[in-house]
This record gives sequence, C-alpha cells and structure tokens, in this order.
Amino acid sequence: MSAPATPRSAASRPLVRRRAAAMLRALWQVNVVEELQYRGNFVASVLGTLFWMAMALLTVALFFRHTTRLGGWDYWEVVVLLGVFNALTGIIEAVLRPGLGRLAGEVRSGALDLVLTRPVDAQLYISFRRLDIWRFVDVVLGLALAGYALVRLDRLPSAFDVVAFLVTLGAAALVVYAMWVALMSLAFWFVSVENLSVLFDAVYEAARYPVSAYPGALRFLFVYLIPVAWTTTIPASALTGRLGPATAVGAVAVAAAALAATRLLWRAALRQYTSAGG
Amino acid sequence: MSGARPAGGSAWRERYAALIRAAWLVDLQYRAAIAIWLLWGVMEPLIALGIWWSIASGGDVEGFSRSDFARYFFGVTLVNQLTLAWDAYYIDRWIREGEMNYRLARPINPVHESIADNLAYKARSATLILAVWLVAAAVWPAVRMPVDPGRWALAALAVVLAAGIRFLNGYVTGLLGFWTTRATALMELQFGLSLFLSGRIAPLTLLPPAVQTVAGVLWFPYVLAFPVDVLTGAVTTPAAYVRGFAGQVVWLVAWWAAYRLVWSRGLRHYGAVGG
Amino acid sequence: MAATIVAERLTKTYQVKVREAGLRGALAALVRPRYREVRAVDNVTFTIDRGEIVAFLGPNGAGKTTTLKMLTGLLYPTAGRAAVAGHEPWTGGAPFKQRIALVLGNKQQLLWDLPPEETFQLNRAIYAIPVADYRDRRDELVTLLGLGDLLDKPVRQLSLGERMKCELAASLLHRPEILFLDEPTLGLDVNAQEAIRGFLRAYRDRHDATILLTSHYMADVTALASRVLIINQGRLLYDGALDALVARSARTKRLELVLGDGVTEDALARFGDVRYFRFPNATVEVPREEAAAASARLLASVPVADLSIQDPPIEDVIRRAFEVDTAGGEP
Repeated sequence: MSAPATPRSAASRPLVRRRAAAMLRALWQVNVVEELQYRGNFVASVLGTLFWMAMALLTVALFFRHTTRLGGWDYWEVVVLLGVFNALTGIIEAVLRPGLGRLAGEVRSGALDLVLTRPVDAQLYISFRRLDIWRFVDVVLGLALAGYALVRLDRLPSAFDVVAFLVTLGAAALVVYAMWVALMSLAFWFVSVENLSVLFDAVYEAARYPVSAYPGALRFLFVYLIPVAWTTTIPASALTGRLGPATAVGAVAVAAAALAATRLLWRAALRQYTSAGG
Repeated sequence: MSGARPAGGSAWRERYAALIRAAWLVDLQYRAAIAIWLLWGVMEPLIALGIWWSIASGGDVEGFSRSDFARYFFGVTLVNQLTLAWDAYYIDRWIREGEMNYRLARPINPVHESIADNLAYKARSATLILAVWLVAAAVWPAVRMPVDPGRWALAALAVVLAAGIRFLNGYVTGLLGFWTTRATALMELQFGLSLFLSGRIAPLTLLPPAVQTVAGVLWFPYVLAFPVDVLTGAVTTPAAYVRGFAGQVVWLVAWWAAYRLVWSRGLRHYGAVGG
Repeated sequence: MAATIVAERLTKTYQVKVREAGLRGALAALVRPRYREVRAVDNVTFTIDRGEIVAFLGPNGAGKTTTLKMLTGLLYPTAGRAAVAGHEPWTGGAPFKQRIALVLGNKQQLLWDLPPEETFQLNRAIYAIPVADYRDRRDELVTLLGLGDLLDKPVRQLSLGERMKCELAASLLHRPEILFLDEPTLGLDVNAQEAIRGFLRAYRDRHDATILLTSHYMADVTALASRVLIINQGRLLYDGALDALVARSARTKRLELVLGDGVTEDALARFGDVRYFRFPNATVEVPREEAAAASARLLASVPVADLSIQDPPIEDVIRRAFEVDTAGGEP
C-alpha cells in the first residue's frame, strides 16, 4: 500500500494548510479534555518536574562545592543553562515523546498503516498527534529558573539578547526535533529495537552542562559527533551575553539544514516502509 | 499420576534453571534494546566522570585525583549494572494489565520469575561491562586496579548483598501497585534520591556532611557506594569493612521483612478489589 | 462422590467511581468523587461433579469471569463460600494450584518471543513434572491438538488459533483435574473453534477432567457442554441441561424447507412467519403447538422436497431469557 500523495497544486495548498490547522486544533482539544479526567496527573507532573529540577540544581551545587567555575561558567550561569535544558526537555516530553515516540511500536505492529491512510501529512500528524499538555509546565518552569538565575547574576538581558535567545531556542528545538525524527526513522529499518527514545535520553543527558565543561575526548563526542550539548549551550549563552553573532547565525543555519535533512530522511523511510509491504 | 514428583531441593533447582534459561533466551531476542539500556547506564557515570575530571584538573578534590575518579566511576558503572532494579516497572504493569492473574494461579510465587530474570540479565550485561573495563584498562592506566583476589571476593559478596537489597526494595515498590497507580513515580523518586545518597553522582565523602549523615541512616550507600569502595580499595580498615557489611545485612533483612508484609497484604487487597 | 466444584451463595460486590462524560463531568469528578456499589456476582449457588463440562453463559459484564476468579482463588468472595477439589480456592496454595488450570482467553502465558516448546519446558519445571511423564503428556497433547509443526516457531509468528491451542497444551501438561477456561474460543476462526471444542471433549473423556468454561458463543455450548449456567447481572438465571431450557422457553418452532419448483415467498407467508427465503431454501416460523399441523398443511399444498422441524437458534432462546429478566416478566 502506498501513502496518499499530499496535493501539490497551488489551488489546494491553502486547503492543506487549513486542514492541518484544523487537525492540530482538534488534537489539542482532545488531549486537553482527556487529560483533565485524571485527577492526579497535573499535580504529579508538576511535582515530578520540580523534583528533578531540584535534583539537577543540587548536582550543580555539589560540583560547585569543589570548584568556582565549570568550563569557565560560574554557578548561576550554569543554572541558566539548566533552565534552558528543562525548557527543551519540556518540549520533548510534551510534544515529541507522545507522538514520535510511539512510531517504533507502530511500525512493528503495522498500526502505522492506519496513520498513513489519513488525508494529512504523515510526518506532521505523527509529530503532533498527541500532546502531554502538563509537560508544557516544564517549559515555563525551566524559563522561570533561567530568569531567576539571571537575576542572581545581576544581569538583565537586553532586548537584543532576548531576541537572540528566542531565535536560538527555536533553532535548538528544531534541531532536537530533527534528531528525534532521525532517530525514530531508524525504526523503519531496525524494526526490532523498541526503545529508541531511550537512546536519545541517554545521549541528551550531556546537554545539562556547558560544552566547555567537558574534557577533551568527551567534548569531541558531545560537540562534534553527537552535537547535543550545543542545543542548550547556545541559547543559554544568548541570555548570559556570551553569544557571538557568528554562532547565532550558524545555529539557525544548522537548524534549517537539519530540518531539511530529516524531511528527506522521512521520505526515504516511508518509501522503505511502503515498498517493503509495510 | 505415574512417576514420583521431584522432591523439594531438586525441584527448585530445576525451576530456577528453567526460569533463568527462559529469561536468557528472551533477552537474546531483545539484545538491541538491551544494548541501548546499557548505553544509558554507561552515559550517566561517564558524564559525571567527565565533569569531575574537569574539576580535578586543577588538583585533587578532597583527596580524589583524576585517576581516583576514573576508577570510582568505572566501579559505579559495573556495580550499578549488577545491582540495577527495574522490577517495579513491570510488576506495576502486571498488576494493572491483568498479567498477575495467571502467575498467581501457578504453584510458585511470582518473585522467583523476577529473581531469575535479574540473574540472567545481569550475568550478561555485567560481563559486557567487565569486558569494556578490561579493554579500557589496557589503554588507560588510570582505571587499572591492583590484582587482589581477596578484595575481589569481598567485593563480590558486597555486590551480591547490594543486589539483594536493591531488588527487594524495587520489588516492594512495584507491589505498591496493588494500592496505588503511582508506584512507578515512587520508584522514580527513589532513583532521584539515590543519585546522591548512593554515590552515583559523586563519592559520598564529597557530599555535604549533613547529606552524608542522612545517607548513612538509609540503605542507599549500601547498594552502591559501599561495594564500589570495596572494589576500588577505598575501604581500608577492618572496622570499616565490618560497618559496611553489617549495614548491608541489616538492610537486607529489613527489606526482606517489608517484602513479606507487602506481599501478603497486597494479595489480600488484590483479592478484594480484583485486577 | 463429593462434588468437584461447590459454590454456595457466592457474592462479590465492588465500589465503583461514578463520573459523567464531557468536560463538566470531568471537572466535577475532580472536585467531588462519588461511588456506587456494583454487585458483580449475586448469591450464585451450584455444584459440579467430576467429569462434567459446564458452560457459563451470559452477556459481557454478567459476572462470569468474576465467578471464575473466585473459584480459582484470585478473588475472595464478599459473601458465600466455594470449594474446589476439596480446597478453599483462596487459601488452597500450591497443592490446590497443582490440580487446576486457568486459561484466560485474552492474556496468554506463552513466552512471546520464543517457540511454544520453551514455555512447555518452563511449565514442566514449575509444576515439577517428572521428565518421563512430561514427554508422554506433551506428545499426547501435541497429537490431540495437531501442534506438530508449530513447536519450533516463535509464538509471535503463530495465528490466534494456533496460539490458543499451544496455550491450552501448556496449561495441561501437569494434568489438572479441573480446567477453568475464560472465553477460550474468543476471536478464533471456525476451524480453530471446532478443533478446540473437539480437543476439550477428548481430554475430558480420557482423563475424567472437570471443565468449566465461560463463553458468549452458543456453539461452544451446543458442541461441548452438557449443562449450562446462565448468569446475567450477577445472578444465576438458569442451571440445567440446554435441551430443557430450549423446551421451556422456546415458544416457536422453525420449519426448514427445501422447496420444489414455482414456490414464491408469498405462497409461504400464509403458513407462518417467513424468516428466510432464498430459493430453493426457506425457513418458516410457527407457534410450537401448531408445528405439526402447519407442516401437514404445507406438505399438502406446496411442492416440498424436504422438510424438517427445528428449534429456533439458541441465541434467540437465551436472548429472550435475558430480556425477560431485565423486563421482570415471566418466561
């Protein structure tokens, strides 16, 4: 069975957009109504996030008991980075894991066929079909933490810094999204691996600390091989005034390239899936 | 029926042999997924080591040199794999999804299946970690350890006790699924606390004294920090050995008692409200 | 001989949270949760002797599975008592569990990624079956169920019917005296269903086993069970032979016809209710008392190649029993 082709004619493109918007709106509504039924979920989710943020803060505090700078960053700068890390993981938990995270299982069980027959773009649908809305609180908490740390740093970011932050944060989110799509599309080739999202979690732990905090070999691993550490370091640098314009532009360029690359990868994966008989 | 049923001891040997064999074969089917879990278990100590290595570049941190940190965290990686307790997650699932029923209808306690599963999994993953450590030791002098069979035997004993404590602790947490839907959240809570109190993020002596005291009255140090210290030779005096092993025995008994209590109460509750 | 299964005024009640649908109801439930008592099983009494095959019939949610769980010790009754093979299921322990088998239609014990043979070996060890006995019993079950070429394939590659057969085999290696089967033919194709029914009959004949199965397939009942317990909303409506039930509550008979040339549906309509017409077959429903007379009239007026008088399908009979129950009227 082949996936239905998305209409490409100029006349139908606004229709496609409207349909996509309507779908996203409907998904949002379903998820919100569904989540409100579970009485403990909101409280549990927020408590969980606060707990892990506290653990992370204590970890950084522990490191700073024995040093004054970590890779050239001082304590509150690292806390800003921690806030950014929480904001990004909040987006991952709210959007990526519930949707893309299910992909591997669906490829294996054949349930993906049901998705592919719907008259919407498959990648868009799978990416955003299910939201864990409570996890958006993580994003708010993360940004709040970063804000608080900036206050403690006695450093109020300028308007330009804020814009640079938002741009680089957006770029980072897109890069993370691209990484998820790339990872999950492995499910099309390696059907028996069920916990691909764990692989992401394992590696993304490295984004908790600034790039410069890692010694030689590890820095090579996390900076050049699996560039996760940049996704938190760059936006945090924007807030703390460490960001150079070249890096900022580079970040956006990388994000755009990553997005394009994953679209190609996705298409290849779908071709592989449908040609193999699903 | 014809033929005598195998009596007590040999029946149990056969049961464990069969359970371990089944778990081993299933793990074989999931080796790719298990490799990913292994990677996850390695990343955390690796990152911690990276940070401490970086901090210790300016000199020893309270007596810990860079090689000390390297040995410590390799030890943590190995001992963590050998004492890992993930049972809470599937037990909670069994209870909620009705997979407890056929296990309860069988003439053996479901705990034996879990123990066998642990043995099979850990034998395999620990062998891998050991192999990696040997390779690393060949190229990286920092992680080498002096050959000392006596100490290694004691370390093995400490690891066995630690694994027992952690298993019972995790199993009991999973059994709380009889009463609550938050059993896995409780497991996560303990997991978070053990980051510090078990010495996963740093050797315990680097923690603030107040935290070390809190850790000392709980079971956390005995499931990771103590066996690692025995392995790396950080335990030096007989008194320290005695204190460590005594603590392990006390907590093993305590968690075993908790398991007996929670299991019998849990069954009663399950029988009342169903699954 | 003492009855194998005894249930005396078995009762099971639950407290269930009440919640209305929609957003308002969800919010209301958040603020003030309410409960209501559900009687899953209500004063059920019966006894089953050794070697009987008994079917528990009823719609979904009737209390069949709950009763089964009480008889196997998974639940304990709110009131009443049960005895199975002389044991109280709740306290029976390992000796009790060695003598029973519980097969749940939707949850399987087979190890998913391994061949069924591995689960058999595992059960051999769990139930401490002597090796010689194990081989004999396994061979017998493999032959009876036709599992020959299935034993080497991982369970996940088997069809639902094949899996169910292997599940049964795995459950019977310890040769239990009493089998509790919850919806054993659920979701299976006709061939697999018939194979399993045939197997259960053969197994009972060979080993004098007692079989209690729950089902909502009538065919399970007609093919297997000598006796039927009909349960609805937790209460036992009927306990006895199936024929007696049909005779008691079936008000009509059906004339199954094979017609000769030129007979139309209208031509038949004056004899009774035409239930089915597809030339040359037809079914006409008439009141029970008039069956013989109507048949005679038909044969006299209309060219008929074959005629037989049948009871209406069991589904209708039992549906009437349930409807009667919920309406509170007399059968």
